[in-house]
Amino acid sequence: MTGITHTTALWYASRATGVVTMLLLTAVVVLGILVNRQGRLPGLPAFAVTGLHRNVSLLAVAFLVIHVVTAIVDPFVTIGLAAAALPFASAYKPFWLGLGAISLDLIAALILTSLARARIGRRAWRGIHWLAYAAWPLAILHSLGSSTGARSGLELSVLAGCVLATAAGLTWRLSHAARQVPRAGRAAAALREAPAREAMR
Amino acid sequence: MTGSLTLPYPPLAHGGPPPGTPGPGGMPRLLPESGAVPVDLASHLAGHCAFRFARGREDLLREAEAAGLTGRGGAAFPVARKLAAAAKARAAPVVVGNGAEGEPASRKDRSLLWISPHLVLDGLQLAAQLAGSRATVLYVQRNERLHARLAGAIAERAAAGIDAASVELVPAPDRFLAGEESALAGRLAGRPALPAYRPARGLPRLAPGRAALVQNVETLAHLALIARYGAAWFRTAGTAAEPGSMLVTLHLADGRASVAEVPLGVSMADLLGLDPGRARPAMAGPAGAAPAGAGPANAVIPSTAGPVQAVLVGGYHGAWLPAAEAARLPLANAALHPLGAAVGAGVLAALPAGRCGLAETARVARYLALESAGQCGPCFNGLPRIAVALERLAGPRPDRSARADLERWAGLVTGRGACHHPDGSVRFIRSALRVFAAEAALHEQGRCAGTDTRPFLPVPASAPASEEDWS
Repeated sequence: MTGITHTTALWYASRATGVVTMLLLTAVVVLGILVNRQGRLPGLPAFAVTGLHRNVSLLAVAFLVIHVVTAIVDPFVTIGLAAAALPFASAYKPFWLGLGAISLDLIAALILTSLARARIGRRAWRGIHWLAYAAWPLAILHSLGSSTGARSGLELSVLAGCVLATAAGLTWRLSHAARQVPRAGRAAAALREAPAREAMR
Repeated sequence: MTGSLTLPYPPLAHGGPPPGTPGPGGMPRLLPESGAVPVDLASHLAGHCAFRFARGREDLLREAEAAGLTGRGGAAFPVARKLAAAAKARAAPVVVGNGAEGEPASRKDRSLLWISPHLVLDGLQLAAQLAGSRATVLYVQRNERLHARLAGAIAERAAAGIDAASVELVPAPDRFLAGEESALAGRLAGRPALPAYRPARGLPRLAPGRAALVQNVETLAHLALIARYGAAWFRTAGTAAEPGSMLVTLHLADGRASVAEVPLGVSMADLLGLDPGRARPAMAGPAGAAPAGAGPANAVIPSTAGPVQAVLVGGYHGAWLPAAEAARLPLANAALHPLGAAVGAGVLAALPAGRCGLAETARVARYLALESAGQCGPCFNGLPRIAVALERLAGPRPDRSARADLERWAGLVTGRGACHHPDGSVRFIRSALRVFAAEAALHEQGRCAGTDTRPFLPVPASAPASEEDWS
């Protein structure tokens, strides 16, 4: 590989956006875990985490779209339009690209149901949102398998960081699930915690 | 507030012809003259004519639409539209009379149920007929005496064999949100009475394929009168846009509370005994003139129950108005909506001069925060923070960040809940910041115009601690 030329540009773009998408998806999953357990981020009220989760999701989707489109358009390997959405339809690395295609489909389902959330009801939306937990590891495996560079070096450490961050989030969640405040006492707990700098007259 | 929340209820503020002989615009319609309680079934039936305007389903639907009757639970939703949806539903919905009355400052539903239970039960049967339903529910706040009385009325009707649909009496938990439609649906489905996420359109569902038609008990009583005397009669009271009468709970400046039936569009000055002609500028606290930059303090308006500085319109999801402004307005949404206020469920409270409006609002804000169902983050995290920031503003020399914190959090919670609890609470709190701006400026100087620290607005002492408290 000798620098970026007009033929390799798309290939580099696809790989770079793939790495960024993976980082963003990891952030989305971790924020999603925080949202679900009323978690906090320093300097943010708990309810602002929800908005962050939503916005980072949209950013991830934007990068995902560029990643997929550049991979299809790139002449270096032939990945058809169909192979991007249909699992295992690709001629090039059918298994590893297939995992990416499944992950893409799951993420598309998450977006569509979130847009129609008011219509389909909370229970159905929640059920489908659990698919996020399948999309993320599929994306990790897809990164590991389809990228030759990810077997070693910088890309591998990025992926390892993603796995560690998600593992930490899940551990935090499971340990907090046990000592969660029941909903009847949540407002009272928040009132006790709120900084009462001055007592009322 | 000295008025107790136990039965029996204070005398009615308005006399008039007894039910059965409603003259044009005559009041009251729903409640007999004071002294005539209790109304048993025999005298109820003897006092009223037959359902002349409800010979068939279409008949009643047309009459309800022509009457322009709106829901009296607070949202003022057109009743005919809900009834039409119920009549069209694939499976007959359960008809529910909603008498949860979770608003601590309101007493009108329990007064109506105590004084005219048969009018409500008539309306429940009519709505059931219209919906093609054989099962109805009367959902009423926990109160042994009231429940015993209603059970007696239901048994009386069963013995007389006048009803086609059964009536089940279900107690509502003593929570602010117990009467919210999805919370009510949860309670009837055997779960705690907590608001639920649901598609915003259509009737609330109790179970798959089983919807509920929920109407406030006062709305049902009006329906029973419209079925008897017709839409034209109903419209002889009220305004063209907001016809008919409504029950209001009045909290006068001397602490007395009463329930009255009034035509919509009635002058609020008349209701509260305000005399705007004799207004005097407010005393800006013990130390003299109002501080610069906050505008003048609200003018104090004399009333038959003592001087009044501000009026709370529409209860704890309602809005404060300066007394002078309230005194020139009619009780009608057409006049109140432009000012960010609404008739709501008809709670009017005249805050006497000498009380601190910010302290009053802060007390209610704390109560509203504790009544959060604890389901939506913006609500159960946001409202407590807002309540505490307001408590800081209600205290002496609040730090500068309190006001900014409050505004920021208020913006963050609005429109973010499954139900309207955060929105309604924020509307109420923001109106206090507008109306009591001069008071807030005094507090910054370490002063307060309030001389009487006794609580004025009624706030229940108990907060929910477990799921049990919601069932």
